[in-house]
Amino acid sequence: MEKGARPNWDNPMQFLLACISYAVGLGNVWRFPYLCQMHGGGGFLIPYLLMLFLEGMPLFYLELAIGQRMRLGSIGAWTAISPYLGGVGLAGVVTSLYLCLYYNIINAWSFWYLFHSFQSALPWADCPINSNRTGPVEECEMATPTQYFFYRETLDISSSIEENGDIHTGQALCLLLAWVITYLFIIRGIKSTGKVVYFTATFPYVVLFIYLIRGITLHGAINGVKYMFTPKMEQLANPTTWINAATQIFFSLGLGFGSLIAFASYNQYNNNIEFQAIIVSLINSGTSIFASFVTFAIYGFKATINYENCLERTRLLLLNAFNLAEDSVTIDSVFEWIEKLNTTYPQQFDIIANKLENCDLESELNTAVEGTGLAFIVYSEAIKYMPLPQLWSVLYFIMLLLLGLGSMLGNITAIITPLQDFKVASRMSNELFSGLVCLFCLLLGLGFTTSSGNYWFTMFNDYGATLSLLVVVLIEVITVSYIYGIKRFEKDIEDMLGHRPNWYWKIMWAGTSPLLLIVLLISYIINYIQGGAPTYQAWNIELGRSVVMEYPIFGQVFIGLLLVSSISCIPITALYVYCKKRNDGNHHKRQYSISTVCV
Amino acid sequence: MLEKVSFLLLSFTLAEQLCKPGDPDGYKVRLSIKTALGENAYVWNDNEMFLFRATLAFAMTKQFDGQQFEVSDIIVCNQTARVSFWFVVTYPHNKTLVDKQVVERAVRKSRNRINSAFLLSDTTLEFIGIPPTLATPVNPSTPTWLIVFGVVMGAVCAGIIVVLVVSLVQRKRKKNETNEDTQVKTVENGAARDGVYYMSFSEDESSVTQM
Repeated sequence: MEKGARPNWDNPMQFLLACISYAVGLGNVWRFPYLCQMHGGGGFLIPYLLMLFLEGMPLFYLELAIGQRMRLGSIGAWTAISPYLGGVGLAGVVTSLYLCLYYNIINAWSFWYLFHSFQSALPWADCPINSNRTGPVEECEMATPTQYFFYRETLDISSSIEENGDIHTGQALCLLLAWVITYLFIIRGIKSTGKVVYFTATFPYVVLFIYLIRGITLHGAINGVKYMFTPKMEQLANPTTWINAATQIFFSLGLGFGSLIAFASYNQYNNNIEFQAIIVSLINSGTSIFASFVTFAIYGFKATINYENCLERTRLLLLNAFNLAEDSVTIDSVFEWIEKLNTTYPQQFDIIANKLENCDLESELNTAVEGTGLAFIVYSEAIKYMPLPQLWSVLYFIMLLLLGLGSMLGNITAIITPLQDFKVASRMSNELFSGLVCLFCLLLGLGFTTSSGNYWFTMFNDYGATLSLLVVVLIEVITVSYIYGIKRFEKDIEDMLGHRPNWYWKIMWAGTSPLLLIVLLISYIINYIQGGAPTYQAWNIELGRSVVMEYPIFGQVFIGLLLVSSISCIPITALYVYCKKRNDGNHHKRQYSISTVCV
Repeated sequence: MLEKVSFLLLSFTLAEQLCKPGDPDGYKVRLSIKTALGENAYVWNDNEMFLFRATLAFAMTKQFDGQQFEVSDIIVCNQTARVSFWFVVTYPHNKTLVDKQVVERAVRKSRNRINSAFLLSDTTLEFIGIPPTLATPVNPSTPTWLIVFGVVMGAVCAGIIVVLVVSLVQRKRKKNETNEDTQVKTVENGAARDGVYYMSFSEDESSVTQM
């Protein structure tokens, strides 16, 4: 039996789809639209596309080339390039481990929402009734039903990271399901992954397209799209815009985890990765833009509905306070009537003046949200206003699931592939080893299903895989360009593809990308230092909204541990290898001297 | 004749005095007919007001088992174009005002009937100060989401078991095949060593000529 032969993708299309499935993830849907809104709408596309060409494509190509050349996972590949730099691969594995621990929680939430969509009335559409049956639950009344469903019924969140609670059984079950499905997808390595990616890579586009048609036909959607695409060019002068564009490209492509190296290591030696790298990066960015179009149509719809509800409430207030006939004040004439009544009955108007809301469409559109707040709160709020909301809800959460599971495939492969290169794991069967890794991640991940779990999730999300990836990729590109040597790398690529990479790639690898990464790293460090104590958003049950709180001491220590544990793999491994070599060198010297004596 | 007129006038003014906006024993009612019925909205007139008073008399009678409330016991005042007004209820025998809490209980008991008489709902026919009793939420014995979860989990587990079994069977089959191969090879080698040497020799020749 050929146990030694490395499995291969059935065809290059599977590899391409696997890369697309991995790179196109939740960040395209929930981070890019937010950045677009924050940094001047259509104008943000300029720094975004520029960064794609300056750092995105070159670094993507670099990782694919290394994987396909070395035909090993990240640890083995970097050890082969330079024995002292095996730690780079190990840092990638550790970061992937952190990511796997918390990323599947998002899939668990998607499952929870998906299963709750099979009801005649969506549970996040209305507030549940309190025990006296006199009105809605207080917490829900102060917040919105969608927020209540997310924070109370889905997470059962506590007031701060210090207050722990029990495991939410529903969440734990959904997390178990998420891990079982992940295991099913990777059970036979890329033989099973290769078949799954046909679906996980393509179906989200079908849903996005359906949502695009639904979105632009919604009432008020055009407000959102207009808002997004009117470029505010003055934002381009802000350096944060450029840094955020660079960071978004970097993280969106999933560089540094070792997943790309792992995927490429199963390629045929002559696979044309240059073409594939360009295609995948373009598709990834294109998907971000496409998804933000859909998101802004939905935003526009939600903002318009909220604005009209606000006007309706004001109209009722005026009618009830001044006892006017029902059809005298219409939604369009609310503002005129306010002025009229203010001048004719100033005293009476003063009484209701503090109850009067400021209805403004711009401010509704301005509420930019990112992350889980966008995906689970804003979107579900918009869905509940659509006709036939159950169908849209099911479609939407299936799309989120496919995006999330597709990225999970890459992340878990990034852990399994390098470890299987070691003799320890290769003695076990693939199925058993994958099962053990999934079980391990599941058990640790249960910690995120407790009452304070969402705060730990945010901590991992913000700190677990950010700084360490920048360091890893910076060392990767410097290693390849200067330690391994651009000339040697060129020759390797010529060997694989049949032609040398042209001057654009070489300039990017040797100059622009490392420079950009150094700038990003410095700006990150400056932000950490200037930002003071790290803070998080805690849900306050009495106020019915989030408040900013500082991390306690153990939280800050844990953040430090997260950052240090992955980055420190690099120097520690280098030191270990150095010591080992010295010991071996001494051994050899002694052996040599013995043999001369013997002779 | 004069006595009758003066008696009517007296009772009218008495009634008016009993009903005042802001009365501690009165309630304000607000109807939003156009919101509820849109194009099918009826006009609010004295006839509709009569129906209201009659319905409320019905509600009060239902609350008090013995006493029969009349339409005249429901006194209405301060009607506005919004369609809102105040009302108070008096006892049939002595014309004293009925307590606020008693009226509230009566209204809550028959709220549904009052609403249906006007084709309105709890939100469009408001009694300011009497919160509507909301319907109890329907809780099925097994939550729906658990059923869907069970289905999906079962399917996935079945898939995993199938894949594991298939790969186990394939591995066993491959093992058996390789065992057979090695056995056949040793037999062939043995035969070659004995005397089929010429056969293999001729095979070699054929391969040489092909070249």
